[in-house]
Amino acid sequence: MSTVLEDIASEVKSAPVVVYMKGTPRFPMCGFSAATVEVLNEIGVPFKAIDVLAEGDKREAVKAFTKWPTIPQLFVAGSFVGGCDIVREMHERGELEPLIRAAAETAAGA
Amino acid sequence: MVAIDEVRSRLEDAFSGADVTVSDTTGEGDHFEVRVRTAEFSGKSLVDQHRMVYDALGELMSSIHALSLRTEPAQ
Repeated sequence: MSTVLEDIASEVKSAPVVVYMKGTPRFPMCGFSAATVEVLNEIGVPFKAIDVLAEGDKREAVKAFTKWPTIPQLFVAGSFVGGCDIVREMHERGELEPLIRAAAETAAGA
Repeated sequence: MVAIDEVRSRLEDAFSGADVTVSDTTGEGDHFEVRVRTAEFSGKSLVDQHRMVYDALGELMSSIHALSLRTEPAQ
């Protein structure tokens, strides 16, 4: 378990936007994961998606990593942002896009 | 399966004086929509607010398949 946690700790920093989800962006296997991907697609910045159904050891490990009980989980610039409801709410408030764009620009400039 | 009354009473016990709305979206006790409005959320991030709700629900979380959550700080 500790090595999976280490993998996750580095994986969340491996791209400006990382999402742990059930299924893939093209074929999400859960409504909450689908809704999260929909918001990210609307913002239009590339993101890295990890399918916890395909990488089963990460399903519980990512929950342990964030101490957050549900999937999907979104990370921006290596920091945990929240689950589906938070992603949707931040997007409605116009707070998510600037956060994601800033992370993408910082990564591109680095 | 979790009773809707149990979800509501857990939340009302945890956040006294809160405005709590719970609906069982499938009628099968595993998909819930929860709205909590309380002064205890003031000044807290959304992640912290949601964590407080998850903590209040405790072990019920493992029996709930899907929880849609809306938290709001009350004035």
